[in-house]
Amino acid sequence: MRQNAYCPHPTHQATRLATSPHDTEHRKTGALPPAHVRFECPDCGIPVSCSEEHYVSDYESHLEICDTLRQINEDDHDLLSGRLFPEFEYPGPQVAEEAQVNMMNWDTLLYSRDFAAINDDRSMRQATRLLTYPLSIASVLHELSPYSLRDRVTAEGLRSLSALRYTLHPPRSGSGITIAGLRPNPPPVRLFILGARAESSLPREVWIQLAHLFPRVTFHLIFIGPESMANREAEFPLPPRTPQNPFGAIVETGLGGVMKISTYVDYFHTLHEAQMFAPYDPYFDCFVLFHPGLGHPASSFEWSETLPQLLETKVPIICTGYTDYDMRRDMAWVEKEARGEMDIVMKAGENRFRSLRWDLNDADPGDVSCGNWGIWGFRGKRYEADEYRGGGKAEQQTR
Amino acid sequence: MRPTQIWRMPLGRIPQASYYDQKNRPGAALMRARQPYLVKNAVTGVCLLGFVAAVYTWTLKAIGQDDFSDVPIPDAPTQPAHAPHMSTVKSAGSAQ
Repeated sequence: MRQNAYCPHPTHQATRLATSPHDTEHRKTGALPPAHVRFECPDCGIPVSCSEEHYVSDYESHLEICDTLRQINEDDHDLLSGRLFPEFEYPGPQVAEEAQVNMMNWDTLLYSRDFAAINDDRSMRQATRLLTYPLSIASVLHELSPYSLRDRVTAEGLRSLSALRYTLHPPRSGSGITIAGLRPNPPPVRLFILGARAESSLPREVWIQLAHLFPRVTFHLIFIGPESMANREAEFPLPPRTPQNPFGAIVETGLGGVMKISTYVDYFHTLHEAQMFAPYDPYFDCFVLFHPGLGHPASSFEWSETLPQLLETKVPIICTGYTDYDMRRDMAWVEKEARGEMDIVMKAGENRFRSLRWDLNDADPGDVSCGNWGIWGFRGKRYEADEYRGGGKAEQQTR
Repeated sequence: MRPTQIWRMPLGRIPQASYYDQKNRPGAALMRARQPYLVKNAVTGVCLLGFVAAVYTWTLKAIGQDDFSDVPIPDAPTQPAHAPHMSTVKSAGSAQ
C-alpha cells in the first residue's frame, strides 16, 4: 500500500480520475506533488496520509471510516494468526430433503443448513467472505429465495427463475442404484461465471455448498475470464489445446459426482463466437457476474463486446456489485448499451448474503468495499412474436 | 452422494461448535437465528394462551351453579326424621 496509494489530502494534485462521488480524488485541487502514504493512523493502524500534518488536518473525513479500517486490519491479522478456524469447516449435504433451508438471513441459513455454530462476529465475517459466492447464487435461484415478486423480482424475472427452478427442484423419480432404478438424467445446470478473478480460486468445499442446497441436481460451473487463473499458479501450465479441448480448459471432476468445474482463460466473446457452449437453454443455463465492473471506466470496454451476446442468449444474468454506487453504475451502463433490448429480472438492492467482512483497496485506503454487497439481474428481452417482415403465405396466395 | 469432508481424529481440546453452551443455554448464534421470529412467536403465544383462557373462563361460568333465589324454599317436613332403608329386605327379589 505504501508503494501504490497516494495521500488523499486536498492540497495534493490529483493522480487519476475520480471513479465515484465518494472518491477523494475530486477534492484534490492543490499544487503539491502527489505523495505516497506513509503515516499510519494510531487508531486503525493503516497508512492513510503522507505526513502527520495532513493526517491531522483531514481528520474528520478519516474518522468516518476509521472504525471500519480498524476492523479490516484486525480481521487480516486474525487470518494470519494461525489459530484454529472452526468456521471454515463446512457441513455435508442436507441430511433430509424435507429439512428445508431458511434463507431469511445469514444466521437462519447457517442454522438450517446445519453449520457449526459461529458465535463470534469476527468468525462470522471470515466465514461469510467465502460463502457469499455460492450462497448468493443459491439465494436467487432456490425456490425458497427471500426475493419475491413483492419486493425485488419482476414478472419477467419470475418467468426466467421459474424455468430454472423447474430444473433445480426435480420431482422424485424413483431412481435407485440398481438396474431397476435407472432413470434418464437431465444435463447439468450450467452456471457461467464470467469475469472470474478470485472466485475461481475459492476452495472447492465452498463451491460444493451450492450443490448441497439442491439435491438430485448436477452442476457445471464454468469460470471464464482472462484472470480466471488468479491465485492458482500451482495448476499451471494449462492443458494443451486439442480438438477435444480447443481452448485448453482445466476441468475438475472429482467433486462427488454432483459438480464439475471448468476454467477457461479467455474472453467470453471468443468462446461464444466459437459456439463452444451453444445452444443455451433458459431451463439449464445462467450467467453470473461477480462485481464485473460493467460501468467502471477501466473495464467497461472489455464488456461491450460480450454484452450483446449475453442478451442474445435470453438466459438470465445475475450480477453483483461492490457498493451501491458500483451496482447502479453497472445498471445504467447496461441499460444504455442494451438500447431497450433488456429486461430486468431482479431489481438492484442489498444482497442478503453479502460478505459481512469489508475489504480494503490496496491503491486507495479510503475505498472500502465488501464482496457481493448488492445483487441484481437482467436478461435479453423476449418478444412473444417476431417482427413482420413481409412475404408471408397470405401474400403469396393473393399474387 | 458421499459428502466431501475428510474425517479427522480429534486431537486435543475440540472447540465447542454447538448452538448451546456448556450449561445448555442458547448461544449467540442461536439467538441471532431466532431473532426474526421472536416478536411474532411471542404474539402468537399470547394469542393462543388468551384463547385457551377465554375458553376455560366461559366454560366454567357456563356450567356454574344456577341462581335459585327466585324459587321459594319449602318448610322442613313434619314427620320425624328416621334413618332410611330400615326394612329387613336386603335384595329386590329372591328365588323361592
